[in-house]
Amino acid sequence: MQKQYRLLYDENLCIGCQACSVACRMENSVPDNVYRVQVHMKTLGVFPNLGMQYERHSCVMCENPPCVSVCPTNASFQSKDGLVHIDEKSCISCKYCILACPYHARFINPLKNVVEKCTFCYETRVSKELLPACVSTCPTDALSFGDMRQKESLVHQKSQKEVLVFPKAHLGTKPKVAFIPNRKGIKS
Amino acid sequence: MAYLQARRDFLKIATTGVSASVLIPGSLGALGDVALKGEDKFIRSVCEMCSSRCPMEARVVNGKTVLIQGNSFAKEMGTSLCAKGVAGASQLYDPQRLVTPLIRVGKRGENKWREASWDEALSLISRKFSALKERYGARSVIFSAKTGEQYDLLRSFASAYGSPNIFSHWSSCPIAIESAFAHTFGEKLYRDFENSTYILNFGHNLFEGLDIPLTKAMAHFSANPSKKLVVCDPRFSIIASKADEWHPIKAGSDLAFILSLLHVWIRDGKYDKRFVDEYTIGFDQLSDAIKEATPQWQQTLTGIDAKVVERIAAEMYAAAPRCIIDWGHKATTTKAEFQRTRAILIANILMGNVEKEGGIFFAKTAERINTLACEKVVPELSDPYPRPRINEPRLDGAGEEGEHRFISRSHGILQAIPDAILSQKPYAIKGWFLTRHNPLVTVAYPQKMKEAMEQLEFIVVNDVYLSDTAMMADVVLPEATYLERDEGISKYSFKSPVYAMRNRIVQPINHTKNLIEIIRDLAERMGFGSHYAWKNITELRAFQAKGDAELLQTLLMRGVASFDVPPLLARCSSSVERFCERYPKSHLLKDTQGLFSHMLHSLKTPSGKIEIFSAEIEKAFKGYGVPRAVDMDVTQGYPYVLTSGKSAVHTNGHTQNIPYLNMLLSSNPIWMHPNTAKAHGLKMGDTFYLQNAISKEKATVFITEGIRPDTLFAYMGFGRDAPALKRTHAKGTNPSKLLSLESATLCGAMITNVGVNIVKA
Ligand code: SF4
Ligand code: SF4
Ligand code: SF4
Repeated sequence: MQKQYRLLYDENLCIGCQACSVACRMENSVPDNVYRVQVHMKTLGVFPNLGMQYERHSCVMCENPPCVSVCPTNASFQSKDGLVHIDEKSCISCKYCILACPYHARFINPLKNVVEKCTFCYETRVSKELLPACVSTCPTDALSFGDMRQKESLVHQKSQKEVLVFPKAHLGTKPKVAFIPNRKGIKS
Repeated sequence: MAYLQARRDFLKIATTGVSASVLIPGSLGALGDVALKGEDKFIRSVCEMCSSRCPMEARVVNGKTVLIQGNSFAKEMGTSLCAKGVAGASQLYDPQRLVTPLIRVGKRGENKWREASWDEALSLISRKFSALKERYGARSVIFSAKTGEQYDLLRSFASAYGSPNIFSHWSSCPIAIESAFAHTFGEKLYRDFENSTYILNFGHNLFEGLDIPLTKAMAHFSANPSKKLVVCDPRFSIIASKADEWHPIKAGSDLAFILSLLHVWIRDGKYDKRFVDEYTIGFDQLSDAIKEATPQWQQTLTGIDAKVVERIAAEMYAAAPRCIIDWGHKATTTKAEFQRTRAILIANILMGNVEKEGGIFFAKTAERINTLACEKVVPELSDPYPRPRINEPRLDGAGEEGEHRFISRSHGILQAIPDAILSQKPYAIKGWFLTRHNPLVTVAYPQKMKEAMEQLEFIVVNDVYLSDTAMMADVVLPEATYLERDEGISKYSFKSPVYAMRNRIVQPINHTKNLIEIIRDLAERMGFGSHYAWKNITELRAFQAKGDAELLQTLLMRGVASFDVPPLLARCSSSVERFCERYPKSHLLKDTQGLFSHMLHSLKTPSGKIEIFSAEIEKAFKGYGVPRAVDMDVTQGYPYVLTSGKSAVHTNGHTQNIPYLNMLLSSNPIWMHPNTAKAHGLKMGDTFYLQNAISKEKATVFITEGIRPDTLFAYMGFGRDAPALKRTHAKGTNPSKLLSLESATLCGAMITNVGVNIVKA
């Protein structure tokens, strides 16, 4: 594996402003009313003892991606950098991958009738040494991204310092998106 | 290649909406596919999706903008931008946006139009305005705009025309803050969130009313476990969720809480005595005024335990001067708004945080820096918008003897407009020129405002959309969006001066015009073209920069210019030392402790000092010279208080119809506590009515634990009547329709906390 990408989402810094979601839409021409990334918020607890849950919803780039193993045409594949991509030309829209993805990350692009999801902006940005659009735009620096093998990177340093949570870790999918859980307010 | 693909897809998306809907006359959709000129570059400019005006940059491919981000030449921004800013292109290419001037053909407000050429529209406006001036006098025409460069321009035009009646949106937003600062410090101060350790916040929700540099600083503050954020807000807002403590304070009672903080500090002698002695006047009057304001006393008013006040007072004193009592952004809650904001400023003063790291500070403008440096280190700008004072009384009496004597003559009180028009007092009002100003959504009692507008002879609205207010016009000018406009230089001064300039990102679609071009053209047609020293935007910029080509070049290339001036805090010796090392002549200005204390000894207040007590105010408004408990009731006898505020994805009355933002939030169901909903038999999503003496408005309920049972909350900007706003039309509730035209005492702020009943549908 050539790179060990990680996208770190710090719930303590996230304010649910959806700038990431709109930046993704602009960068990737995501059609109206579907999303590659969105942040969901939920109020927890009973007045006046409350908390707010912030949750990033997107493809988490599984190391063991169930979407890839179910794909009959190999349209869903894993690159040598460990990222999961979709080859639009081979996709037959059978939706097996949509059902297999435990993170509800995939959807049908209604304009092209192929399956789509977050790509970490690999083609337009990351492969050109730019940050994914969501990371670059986030007003509060809640997102950081980089190659974990670069020890001086923010992503590496933050990962060393904080307790990380990997969504649905029990499934063994080994996500590349990690969360720094919220420290404030009621938790459940 | 990917960007080209993105562009094609974007066009496809932008045009799918067109065929699906009935075309609005004058709209971009009515033009069909738009021919665009090709280029591929980065352009740096200034955002205008809200009033924060963050520096931004846009990538342009084939003449079409692709991704808009923050401008990292502005170092507090980095590449950050909010959802509204990023969605700029969604407004630019919105098929529902106006791109052709419209002239009314039906009755006023009937929404019947014909398209017109720019020449026809501008010639009609100049003829009508000249005629109004001749028949009724120039004062019969009102001019209004949001604040910023467009307002400066319109104010200048109003004064060339001869009318004193220029209005900004101040009275519907920051007027109490501006007024409290003027009467305390003589000018406005800023907050050093980055270096603070304790912040007490009264509903200043920087996480939904975003201003990127401030929001970012606040986010890092609240996420830092060694700092403390306390939020008082009747609603569990986003910033409340990020606080170490949230106190669901009763709506309208902030003043009581702050007075009792002042009480505790003074009772225990725990405040910065040296600062108070050296720099302020009126401490004794304050100490008299807060004698009764005990923590127990505030308990019934605020619903916050007396022990909490005692504890917070002690914690803040321990953190001082690295503590901030935040005055917010929009201060229009109660009739006591001036007193509330003054009390907040005075709480800061007692903590001695003025011109200290982690406290509050004066803007370091170019002029101030040059004076302190004793040499010219930052280029100063000329004002391209001259405005001779018009010696006529304003329609709202602002700045004249009487209840509005302390209100700025250049901002006025919007709530006074309907009565003045309807009663023809103090004189007849016949015309109105509004630029990007939508009072029928953002100002109290729009029903009355509409009635008044119906009486006018001639109304011009300059806007991007055929808004509720634009519908009332005789001529609608389709303004170029900010992405299609070149503008002058704007100043941002915090701890050091910064300039920014709006640079055109793409060619204006269908040759829409910039307000600068519109006004210049009108001035020429109306015979006062000589009022302006410049003929076009290039000349305007050169005039403003006093011919400084290097400054202009930097602003063109980078969108911002900063001058490597070390950030300066006058009462922080290390900062003063750094400044003096850079500019050696300034050593002479240091006092014996190595501070620039003289800066605080010659303020623009009547006494030259910081005024805890204002004799001037006491004289005109007895009992108002120092903060006191007055006018906190916001229920007017009704069982509930309706409050309103912003979401992170919309601005006031401006962005709700923009496609990408509308997708994120398209309506505003009213927040209600589960017990309240139960008591009225309401389930999530049910329809009901909000009712008071002013109106009865239909609403939908959103049930949440995140609000006091006696309080309701609405995101503002919804409940549009304008059918041209197809995505927003008739969705949600316009809370302004329940507000009265009453203004807050002395400062003239609109009052947005209002008593209501819940009535089942
Ligand atoms: S842009 Fe940043 S702060 Fe806003 S929702 Fe996305 S991750 Fe959260
Ligand atoms: S999150 Fe879903 S789409 Fe993404 S790699 Fe994992 S299984 Fe596949
Ligand atoms: S929808 Fe496309 S990508 Fe998904 S499993 Fe089927 S062929 Fe593979």
